[in-house]
Amino acid sequence: MTDTDVANAAAADSRGPSATAQVAVTGLTIDGPAGVVVAPFDFSIAPGETLALIGESGSGKTLSAKAIAGLLPAGFSARGTIALSSATIELPATDAVWRATRGRRISLLLQDPFTSLSPVHRCGTQIGMTIDAATDRRLGRDERTALIVQSLAEVNLPADVARAYPHELSGGMRQRVAIAAALATDPELLIADEPTTALDAGNQGEILDLLRGLQEKRGMAALLISHDLGMVRGRAEHVLVMRNGDIVERGVTSSVLNSPSHPYTRALIEADPSITDRSATAARAASGGLGVGEADAVLGISAGTAAGAAAAVLSSDLVTATDLTKSFGDKTVLHGVSVTVGRGETVGIVGESGSGKTTIARCIAGLERETSGVIEFDGVALAPGRASRTPTQMQIVFQDPYSSLNPMINVGRSLKLALRVAGRPASDLAGLLNLVELSADFASKRPAELSGGQRQRVAIARALAVRPQLLICDESVSALDVSVQKQILDLLAKLRVELGLSILFISHDLAVVRQLADRVYVLRNGDVIESGQCHDVLNSPQHPYTQALVAASIHEAAAH
Amino acid sequence: MSSTEAIVLAKVPRSRRRHPVAVWSSLALLGIAAFLVLFGNLIAPDATAQSILDSLLPPGSPGHLLGTDELGRDVLALTIAGAASALVGPVCVALGSMILGILLGTVSGYLRGPIDFIIGRWTDLLFSLPLLLAAIVVAGVFGAGYWMTVLLLILLFSPSDIRIVRAGVMEQAARPFVEAAQMLSLSKTRIMFTQVLPNVWSLIITNSMLNVAFALVAFSSLSFLGVGVAPGTADWGRQLTDGRAIMIDNPAAVLVPALLIIGVASAANLVGDWLGQNLTRTGRS
Repeated sequence: MTDTDVANAAAADSRGPSATAQVAVTGLTIDGPAGVVVAPFDFSIAPGETLALIGESGSGKTLSAKAIAGLLPAGFSARGTIALSSATIELPATDAVWRATRGRRISLLLQDPFTSLSPVHRCGTQIGMTIDAATDRRLGRDERTALIVQSLAEVNLPADVARAYPHELSGGMRQRVAIAAALATDPELLIADEPTTALDAGNQGEILDLLRGLQEKRGMAALLISHDLGMVRGRAEHVLVMRNGDIVERGVTSSVLNSPSHPYTRALIEADPSITDRSATAARAASGGLGVGEADAVLGISAGTAAGAAAAVLSSDLVTATDLTKSFGDKTVLHGVSVTVGRGETVGIVGESGSGKTTIARCIAGLERETSGVIEFDGVALAPGRASRTPTQMQIVFQDPYSSLNPMINVGRSLKLALRVAGRPASDLAGLLNLVELSADFASKRPAELSGGQRQRVAIARALAVRPQLLICDESVSALDVSVQKQILDLLAKLRVELGLSILFISHDLAVVRQLADRVYVLRNGDVIESGQCHDVLNSPQHPYTQALVAASIHEAAAH
Repeated sequence: MSSTEAIVLAKVPRSRRRHPVAVWSSLALLGIAAFLVLFGNLIAPDATAQSILDSLLPPGSPGHLLGTDELGRDVLALTIAGAASALVGPVCVALGSMILGILLGTVSGYLRGPIDFIIGRWTDLLFSLPLLLAAIVVAGVFGAGYWMTVLLLILLFSPSDIRIVRAGVMEQAARPFVEAAQMLSLSKTRIMFTQVLPNVWSLIITNSMLNVAFALVAFSSLSFLGVGVAPGTADWGRQLTDGRAIMIDNPAAVLVPALLIIGVASAANLVGDWLGQNLTRTGRS
C-alpha cells in the first residue's frame, strides 16, 4: 500500500480532511538538515476526539508534534497546511503567526512534568502567564486569580496549589498543573507529547482519563503522541503508526491494534511487556546471546565460581536489610522495612512513586544514610554511607539514562575508569562492550551521540565492569520505549543467568517485575504490605492494594 | 526530545546557529590585541619618548599618523605600546579570579556544610566592598602599583566566580552520574575535579571572558583616577586621563584608546558567549 493509497483509504474512512473536522492537517512534511525527515501525511481530528500518533523514539512523531506547535528545533522546517476552525496556517509560518496561534488555538503538553514547569515560579503564576498571553485585555488581579483557581479545579487540584512551587508537588500533580496551564487558554487542539511516560502506573490512568473528560467537555481535539500502545487503546478514536518518518498504518484504534496489517505495527504490539511473561524472557535468554563460558571469560569469572554461585542460590542471603527506617526532616518515608536478597536471586520491589522503594535501594547502596536499622552484606553489618562499602559489593543502574552518564566523558573513558577501580586492564573494554551487545567503536562516543537504550547498556556495562555481587536496578527500564525496554530486560535476564548475579530490581511496573523477579516485595507508604514468590504474589495477591495494582496492570495488559 | 533527534541536531553545522561574522571579527580583534601585547614594545620601542617641539600635533601630521599629545609623544606608538599594560592586567585578573573560583566554588558547592558557609560569608564580604573605594584605600596604604591592582582586582572579582562555579557544581552534583562515581568509591576530590568540573567548564570559560572585559574597564577607570598605572607609562587607560585635557587639539589621543577598550571588551564578551554556547552544546544530552 502506497502512501497515497493509505491516505485515500483513510479519507474513505472519513478520516481524511473533511468539512466537519475541527482540525485538519494536510501535506505535513518536515525537512531536516539532511533531507526529508517526515514524509508528507494528512490527518484530521473531529471535535472532542483523539488521534494517537505512535512509534518508537526517532520515528518522527515528536518532530511532527513540534511542527504543528511551531517549535521545530533549528535546522528543521515544515511544509503543509493546518486548518483550524478559527484560522488556517500555511507552513512554514512566521513567528507572529505562531505567537497568535500557540497557546491560544494550539496548546502543547510535554512529556516531563519535572522540566516543563519553571522551577522558580509558583504554579499559579505559571498558569496566570498562559492566561495573560491568551487574553487581549489586561486582567485584574482578582479576575486572574479566579481564572487560575477555576483552571486548577478543572484538573481536580485544590486552590492552594496555586501558591506551591513545582518541587513541592508530586509528578502526577505537576502534570495536572501543566494540563491546567495548557488548557487555560481554551485551545482548539491539544498536542500531548508522551504526557504520562514519566508518571507511574496509577497516575497514568488518572491523567489520561482527566484529559479525556476535559476534552469531551470542551469539544477539543487532541493529538496524543505515544510509544505506549496500552495507553492508546480506549483513549483514542483513531491511530497513526509512524516509522522512520513514514505513516505505515492508520485507522480506527481497535481494528489497528487487534488486526495490525503492517509488520512494524505487529512488532510494536509484540514488544509490549504487559503481554509477555517471565518464562518467555527466560527462554529467549537461554536460547540467544553469548554462551555461558564466553561471558565468564569476558568477566573473568571462573566456571567454578559461577557454578558455586548457582548452587548457592537461595541457600544463604547476600544482603539483608532489617527494620530500615528513613526520615527526611519530619517526613518518614520508610517505617521499619526488611528486605532480603539471596545469592543469585532477583528480587523485585514494586510500589508507586513515593512508596519508598528507591530509598531502600539507595540506603543499601550507601547513597542515603538510613535513620535506623541494620544492613548486612554477606553477613557483615555495614555502617550507613558509602565509606563502609566497596565498589565490588554492589553497583546501581539508575532510571534516567540521559543523566546517569557523564556528558563530558566518552563511553570508553567512563568504562575504563570503572575497570581500573576493579583492578582490571583497560584491554577488557571491548569484551565489556560486547557483553552488553555494543560494538567496540562505541568507546569513542559521547553519551549525547547514543540513544536511550544504548546509554542504558553503557550504564549496565559500567556497573558490571567491577564485577559486583549485587546489581541494583532502580527503575532502570522505565524511561525507555517498550521495544528497547524488552531488549534491556532480555539482556539483564541473560546476564543474571550467565554471571550468577544477584539483582535488586526496583520498579513501579508490575509487568516488568513479573518478567525478571524470583521474589517480590510490595511497598506502600514506606511499609512492606506483601511479599513472597513473584508468581504467587502477582497471581493471587492477598492485600487489597496489591490486588488493585495487579488489576490495573491486567487492565493495561488486556488492552492489547 | 528523543535521543535520535538529538543526534540529528548535533549534525547541524555550527556556523548556522551563531552569528559567524561578529564572532570572526571579534576573534580577529582579539588576535590583533594579543599581537600588540606580545610585540607592541618591539614595534614602538620608544613610545614614551617626549619631544616638546612636536607637542599637540593633530592627526595626520607628517610622521605622526594619529598626531601627538601634550608631551609630544606619538599617539600611535603610545597606543601600540600601551596594549600590553592595558591587557595583561585584565587577563591576569580573569585567570586569577577563575582559579580562585574553581577551587573555592567547587569545594563549596560539592562539600556543602560548614565549609560552604564560611566560603559563602567570605564572598558576601567581598561583594560588599566598593571596587573603586577599595582600590584607592589599598593604593593609599600599600602604595599604588600595577601588580598590587591586579591582586586587588583578583580578590574583588573572585566572589562572582566562586558563586557561579558553586551553582554549576551544585546542579551537577545532584545528577546520577555523580552517584555512579560514588558507587565506584572514588575520592571526593577526584569526583569534584574529574567528574563534576568538566561539566561546569563552559560556564567558567564564558564567565572568565566576561571578566576580561570587566577588568579591562576597571583597569582603565583606575588608571584614569591615577591609581594603578604610574603616570608616564604607555597604557590605554592612562591615555584617557592624559588625553582628556587635549581633546580639542588632538581628539585621537582619547578616542583611539577609548575605542580600543570598548572594542576589545565587546569582543571578549562576544567570544565568551559564543564559546559558552558551543561548549554547552557538546555537553547537552
